[in-house]
Amino acid sequence: MALMTGAEYIESLRKLDIKVYMFGKKIENFVDHPMIRPSINCVAMTYDLAHEAEYEDLMTATSSITGKKINRFAHLHQNTGDLIKKVKMQRLLGQKTASCFQRCVGMDAFNSVFSTTFEIDKKYGTHYHKNFIKYLTYIQENDLIVDGAMTDPKGDRSLTPSQQPDPDMFLHIVEKRADGIVVRGAKAHQTGSINSHEHLIMPTIAMTEADKAYAVSFAVPSDTDGLYMIYGRQSCDTRKMEEGADIDLGNKQFGGQEALVVFDDVFVPNDRIFMCEEWDFAGMLVERFAGYHRQSYGGCKVGVGDVLIGAAAVAADYNGADKASHIKDKLIEMTHLNETLYCCGIACSAEGAPTAAGNYQIDLLLANVCKQNVTRFPYEITRLAEDIAGGLMVTMPSEKDFNSDLKVGSMTIGETCNKYFKGNGKASVENRMRILRFIENMCLGSSAVGYRTESMHGAGSPQAQRIMIARQGNIAHKKELAKKIAGIKE
Amino acid sequence: MKYGVKFCGGCNPRYERGRALKGIKDALSEKVDFEIAKEDSDYDGLLVIAGCSNCCPEIRTYKTKKRPIKMWEEKHIEQVIDEITKEADVT
Repeated sequence: MALMTGAEYIESLRKLDIKVYMFGKKIENFVDHPMIRPSINCVAMTYDLAHEAEYEDLMTATSSITGKKINRFAHLHQNTGDLIKKVKMQRLLGQKTASCFQRCVGMDAFNSVFSTTFEIDKKYGTHYHKNFIKYLTYIQENDLIVDGAMTDPKGDRSLTPSQQPDPDMFLHIVEKRADGIVVRGAKAHQTGSINSHEHLIMPTIAMTEADKAYAVSFAVPSDTDGLYMIYGRQSCDTRKMEEGADIDLGNKQFGGQEALVVFDDVFVPNDRIFMCEEWDFAGMLVERFAGYHRQSYGGCKVGVGDVLIGAAAVAADYNGADKASHIKDKLIEMTHLNETLYCCGIACSAEGAPTAAGNYQIDLLLANVCKQNVTRFPYEITRLAEDIAGGLMVTMPSEKDFNSDLKVGSMTIGETCNKYFKGNGKASVENRMRILRFIENMCLGSSAVGYRTESMHGAGSPQAQRIMIARQGNIAHKKELAKKIAGIKE
Repeated sequence: MKYGVKFCGGCNPRYERGRALKGIKDALSEKVDFEIAKEDSDYDGLLVIAGCSNCCPEIRTYKTKKRPIKMWEEKHIEQVIDEITKEADVT
């Protein structure tokens, strides 16, 4: 099958029987639901850009399995150049959507499951790698979206999976049959799960032998029996339900999506199992996925940052503050922070190395440093954007007020709003409203889920990176360097 | 003359790459036919339009008689037009 277009992707979702719940009710047509559709449009961009000459060099790759042209999101990285192009592609998509485009989790899962299954098979003589290559070939050939699902609800964080009072706090095997396994549990805050054709499941932490029932990796179609999703709320999300909503949404076209994915005794056939009780490889899979995903943030959040910097500059123009030296300096600071994130994404890619399976892995230390910076810099970038935009971004009346014909005294409500919220006069009041609402959307509204809090916790919370930095930082080596130059002999 | 055009992916372009191509095409409209490069086509030349000095597009799979011409900033437009004009005049 050729590469799908965005429109073909959206139509393909309609053919699936995905079970989605929101506000306590089942959503029968999630594709056209006003709260969900912007996130689908976002994923559709990953398809549409692959067809455009100006972007296809980043958006497509040659499959290492079939030799055919595929979407880069389904690619196994063959060299450091592929790792670098991944980050560039993510920046591009962040620029085009100002949101989370949701397809990275699948790509990062493909590359980590591919290399880990190779090493499991080598130790145990299993056939997981063959299973996975067959599965990935199917994904590449059909240009499908896959939710790479790792994070379990985790219950009591002080207890291991097998120690939890409720065993379902970590997804686990409940039955082993001749033709496959049955699993139960859930995966929390799953990016783009409802917009995915498939789910690729991985364990969430390193495990001991006592936890072996929780050491499981597999793939299932998103509409398989027993699988359902509960949609995650976002700040200001019900604005999307308002009749005729446009300007007040800030970003009408695009948005992100997270959901709780529940596995209520889901059957997995043998040829879709990639790990089954090999507990000693759970940590490897987690570390590799986390490494790739921490690299990803050095691309996607940079693209969103590019748009926010641009929006802040436009707001300054409309406010008549663009010539002020402190505004120029703040825009420089935002750019500096944003490009620093990009530097880390590119650096951990350029320092990548081959795995035993042949695909390329990023430099783990640099990828964790990248993500650690992402937990901080977008917060400063949004602070500066809010500073430049001014308080009006959160005090402005609604779009309906600006358009109101209701007369109060000598003027209508609309005339009053348009009179008092005029900026420097060079831009229309409507355009000033649009850019300020857009900044609100990214800093505090529904896209803040993707830009701010996701920057903090996505791909692991800050402490997870600090643990990896401590492991990889080699303080002993640094101490030896200091002792040698200081002339210390012990 | 027939020229294939290959863009980089445009992650952080320092100028409008599409506008650059339009300018080059307009200047050379009577001498050169430009099309987005295809791997199964033969070209007299290949024009690589990158957004920055990294100039990262993968071009090994394209078939061209002449050495590819690469550009990565706006001021290269005139140089590209001059170079292709000279090639076209010789041809």
